Amino acid sequence: MAQFKQWALEYVLSDDEPAQLEITKKAAKEIESSRASSTVVGNWAASVQQWMTPANADDDKMEDEDEGGSGDIIARAKALGFLAGTLEVLYKSVLRSDQVLRLIGFFGAMFSYDHKAGITASAKALRQLYAMKNFKPSMGIKILEDVCKIKEDFRLQIAVTRLEIYELFLSLIQDPAVSSELKHKYGSSCGFVVDLLQVCQNERDPRNLMVWFKILALLIKDYDPSAEVTKELFKVFSAYFPISLRSSATPIGITAEDLKEVVRGCFSAHQRVADHAFPFLIQKLDQGDAVTVAVKLDILKTIQACIEQYKNPQATVVPHVEKIWNSLKYEVRNGEVKETIDATLDVLRTIARKLDGTKTYKLDVSLLKSYVDLVSRDCRDDLANPTYTKQAGLLLMTVISANIRAYVLYNASFIDTIRQNLRQPKSPSHTRDLLLLLNSLLKTRMELFRDRQQAHSEDEESLKAESRTHLDTLFHDVYLPVWTDKIKEPVSEEKDVLKQVIQGLALLVSQQVLQPDGTPTLLCSGSVCSEICSLLTSTITKGLTLSPNDTSEDDTAVEDEAVLGLRTVVMNYAEGYRELASRIKAGIKSRDWAKPSQYSLDALKDLLSRFTFIGCSEVPSSITTDTQTQFSPLQHFITLTASLLEIFPLSPNSESIRADDGASANSHVISSLHASVIWFRDACEAKYGKSALTSNSPDNKDWVDEFKELPEDWLLQIQRDIAAPNAGLTPLKENGSEVYRQFLKLGLFVVRFLYRSASAGVRGPWDETALVQLSQMAALVVSSLDEKLQVSCNLAYQAFNFFRGTTGPLLETRSDLLGALLTLGILQGLRPGAMAGLYNPGGFAERFTSGTPTFNTSRESDIRAAIGAILANKFKPEASTPVQELEVLKRVLDFWGDWLKKETAAPSPADPAAFRAHSTTALSVIAGAAARQDPHVLTLIPVLHQAASTPTPNGEILAASLGLIVKQNPLLTPENHAIIRRFHKQWTYAHLAKPLLQPAQPGSPNNDPLTATRYRVAVLSIVANGPFTVYQDDLAPLIRLLVTALTQRAGLSDETAWAQTVAALEVLVEVLASEPDALTGHLRAVIGGATGVYQECAAQQGAVRTLCRRLALQVLGGIPGRFEERHVRAYAPPTQRILAVACGDSVRRVREVARATRGSWAKVGL
Amino acid sequence: MERDLENANPTILNVSQLPSRQRKGPVTRHGPDSKCDSIVFPQHPWPFGSSSSSDEGDDDGEDHVDAQDIYDLISTISDPEHPHTLGQLSVVRLPDIHLDPSPAVLPDPDALVTVLVELTPTINHCSLATVIGLAVRCRLEQTLPPNYRVDVRMKDGSHAQDDQVNKQLGDKERVAAALENDTLQRMVDKMLETCA
Repeated sequence: MAQFKQWALEYVLSDDEPAQLEITKKAAKEIESSRASSTVVGNWAASVQQWMTPANADDDKMEDEDEGGSGDIIARAKALGFLAGTLEVLYKSVLRSDQVLRLIGFFGAMFSYDHKAGITASAKALRQLYAMKNFKPSMGIKILEDVCKIKEDFRLQIAVTRLEIYELFLSLIQDPAVSSELKHKYGSSCGFVVDLLQVCQNERDPRNLMVWFKILALLIKDYDPSAEVTKELFKVFSAYFPISLRSSATPIGITAEDLKEVVRGCFSAHQRVADHAFPFLIQKLDQGDAVTVAVKLDILKTIQACIEQYKNPQATVVPHVEKIWNSLKYEVRNGEVKETIDATLDVLRTIARKLDGTKTYKLDVSLLKSYVDLVSRDCRDDLANPTYTKQAGLLLMTVISANIRAYVLYNASFIDTIRQNLRQPKSPSHTRDLLLLLNSLLKTRMELFRDRQQAHSEDEESLKAESRTHLDTLFHDVYLPVWTDKIKEPVSEEKDVLKQVIQGLALLVSQQVLQPDGTPTLLCSGSVCSEICSLLTSTITKGLTLSPNDTSEDDTAVEDEAVLGLRTVVMNYAEGYRELASRIKAGIKSRDWAKPSQYSLDALKDLLSRFTFIGCSEVPSSITTDTQTQFSPLQHFITLTASLLEIFPLSPNSESIRADDGASANSHVISSLHASVIWFRDACEAKYGKSALTSNSPDNKDWVDEFKELPEDWLLQIQRDIAAPNAGLTPLKENGSEVYRQFLKLGLFVVRFLYRSASAGVRGPWDETALVQLSQMAALVVSSLDEKLQVSCNLAYQAFNFFRGTTGPLLETRSDLLGALLTLGILQGLRPGAMAGLYNPGGFAERFTSGTPTFNTSRESDIRAAIGAILANKFKPEASTPVQELEVLKRVLDFWGDWLKKETAAPSPADPAAFRAHSTTALSVIAGAAARQDPHVLTLIPVLHQAASTPTPNGEILAASLGLIVKQNPLLTPENHAIIRRFHKQWTYAHLAKPLLQPAQPGSPNNDPLTATRYRVAVLSIVANGPFTVYQDDLAPLIRLLVTALTQRAGLSDETAWAQTVAALEVLVEVLASEPDALTGHLRAVIGGATGVYQECAAQQGAVRTLCRRLALQVLGGIPGRFEERHVRAYAPPTQRILAVACGDSVRRVREVARATRGSWAKVGL
Repeated sequence: MERDLENANPTILNVSQLPSRQRKGPVTRHGPDSKCDSIVFPQHPWPFGSSSSSDEGDDDGEDHVDAQDIYDLISTISDPEHPHTLGQLSVVRLPDIHLDPSPAVLPDPDALVTVLVELTPTINHCSLATVIGLAVRCRLEQTLPPNYRVDVRMKDGSHAQDDQVNKQLGDKERVAAALENDTLQRMVDKMLETCA
């Protein structure tokens, strides 16, 4: 006893929570060790006796007394806290049920006597007692009764205490045992509920409300209260509606949305409040303008939740439907806020779904019928009124398309109404709105059809039995007349109508119906589909037949819509694409392409581009009108490629040989083939996922060998009969990676066909643009093949043989542009593993990369350099690679090292252009090897340094072009399977440029001025071609070089000197953008240098001078914003004068930069 | 600033209707099928070697200052009372901009050129005409080289008091004094904010 008293005293005196916890633990342990003997528990309970005595005194009297009274209250509260705390840590099965009951009695009494000190601790203690193992349901009733005795004083308690009590109520009420005991005792009169409501009715704290509303919802839902009690309950929670939350500086973790949600839970808890809820909510909604959007949304969402949750809709929802409809229809008809319109439509849709029944149980059809009739009655007339067409249609659509049953019952009459209105449209926009409605009905039909498996089995049956005549006739009755009416010379509004017609036609062709056996098939007959197809086709082919004078406007909206429409059409009606192809072929063939006008070429380009898009941008689906026809996901791709190959070449001799002359008709055909591969590849990725594109081939067949057995017109043959067993294609199922593989096979066949045609010996139709496109298409196809296939098809060999099957490689004999481009295409796409065979001693790689053939044009040397870079890069030696092969590229690099040394040493070069061309190849080869950090490159570095400093013209050329080694090369990328080491640019810079930074400085002690100048040119060339991160650690010496380069051009040819200036300015722009602080000490030199460059170039013409002027101004413009004004102010007046003059520059782009720069300098010194 | 607008309903042109420098060559079409146009119908058909990058200076040809340039400089100035530009409100019109002599025919790039801009206020009693004129003048002085003389006037008959307004705008002293006024300076700065 004494011990407990001592602890209680310590507890009361202590203010430290951990210490208090320790004390309660000790007390709990004591009780547990005595196994809750009555004496110990009694002692424990009596330990707080000394503080309890005044509790019986008159409260009011206490209140009026001096401070000592409030001290007592605190001590008493703490003493009770000691008991509650002990219960909290006490093992839950220790106390016996009589002890629990007694304790409940004790703490429960506090609610009658001690409203000041006892409530918090008692509520806490009661919650602990409820959790005791020996708690009996009947005790729950006692707790409820006791607690309710607090009456009005409840609201005087602090919020935390109230929360404790709410939590206690919630635990009791949702406990099934307590709940059945309560029901047994009180029955439906639920007397305790009334007490509860009295106690809690004035709650305002959001945290407490969250629990209180949960309690209310449970009472309505689970306690079967009588009508009066239900009404009382409804009154309590509806008084809070619509609920809001004042924003508070201290967030409490509850949002207004949470509160709305939980109040909504009360409304929708049970259908027994339906008769109160609907009238109440509708009355709130009908308050008119006084209701804000947020409140309106809350009301609508609550109505929706009620409809969704209430069971037995016949009795609960149906009586209110008419009222709801009458109140809601104006929200859509006259509403302007999208959110409320959407929420209203959601409510209407929910009603239609509720009245239909569930997936397993259908309600009587009359309920749904009378609802839809109600809606139709009000909306039908509005369809004839252009102001309300859209809204009325939306309302009708929403209820009709809510479920299959409503759709099947009403779509015919809906379509009929639209049809009647379309016959007498009030305006083009009225027609457009009506068509829009029709189209959305068709779209909804597709969605309902697609989701039919999830619906009731009756629904599928009704879809089978659906009447189709009104849909069948849509094309001839609705769409075609509108189309014919508007197509002649459409103006802007009529174009919108036409776009709707096209969308509608596409949707119409996509419609499916169920056959009696349950298999889906297309709604439209083949002839209707074909008619639709030809209608749309004529829209896109007409450009070819018109003359430039016929089409004055650039607006292609209708054509673009037709393209999208056709794509949808042919995805479903596969035959359509073949019809389209033959019409396009006929249209193109009927014209003479020998000397076409630019207009005809553009028309051809547009037509082919659209033709490709329609067929290849999506993988077709397997629904056809005719089940006899075999289907393949590849059929459109085959039709397209076969058609394009059939019309190629459009003219036997291409009219523009060089690429700069503009594209030719022939090249447009090749471009479209290239585009078809890109489109179809993307379509496969979209449909089957990335994994389908990367899965490796199961076998390693030699496709090229198979192609030899196939006829030249193989594609045409399989186009005619896709499923022919001899087609060379394995029968296709919808297997992503298999479809993709077959697509690549066809792609390779096309490449092979074109390569053979291009390398046949006669240049004929093959102009440069066509060849470049073919080469890039080959690169795409080849790079998409995996390594095994590239090896098994022996593509490394074909790169030089062009699929001609001759014994000796062809390229040996022809070093012309054509052959080189073809070779490049395949090499570009090959993986390093598939190129192993090329690196034999004396093999292709060696012969091709070392040698200085005579080039006729710079184009030839460009390609040679590109091939050199690829061959030097894609060498991946393995453990089994023979030593001789390892030596090959070393020999190649040495060859170029020697060549550069020799050529730069020649005092008067024979042909600088030839040196330039070959040195480009040399540097590209080195770049290829440097990208994979070939250590042998390092042995060339001294040679390059030496050659660049040789005082000959060739040395200067080399120094200025060293940047090629680090320049971004589009061929050396991961997509092209190049071997790229992550830090190769840093590696190259560190070995090639960094050692030159000191010797390149002006007045460097170890070098003569010429060598320093050359080194400077070399460093700038490298740095200007590399990213900033490569050289950012060497900014200090580099900036000195940059400044020198702006002012010194002595000892250099004019071309190199200005190229050096451009490089220096470019690097300065980069430094200014990335690390301007490095320039702080050099501002005078930089501003002076840039100004000097501008002035020097101002008087001269030429592209390089213009570029210098622009860059110089750009450098100046970057300065004011990036430095503190004190650094810049001194330079402002002279710079502003120059910039003012620069605003009158003779080149517009320079003037633009000058103005911006002038603007930024104008702010200096203000 | 709440006040009644002098002209509450001015005619507003669409940005696409404003005079602009026509781009060279045909307009590129952007249909649904144009996604890979840049690859299969490239701008520079020869993607290899150094020649591909040197074409970037397409617009770098000689192109002296002309009326369209001046129009581009001032048509983007905001109107002081409407959220539109002077170009959209037709206060500034291309035919009302005159360069004399035209810089293209000048033998010496430093020779004097006079730029005459005639403004057409949206209503003929517009009290903001002087402010608009001031802004146009400021903009041109800030962006044209020193050998250009700027003359901003109201178009004949377009304003009830065009003589007075022209006199104000033509008087250097008055213009300088006006810009000393903080309120006016802020207003002009605000109008010029929309100029690129």
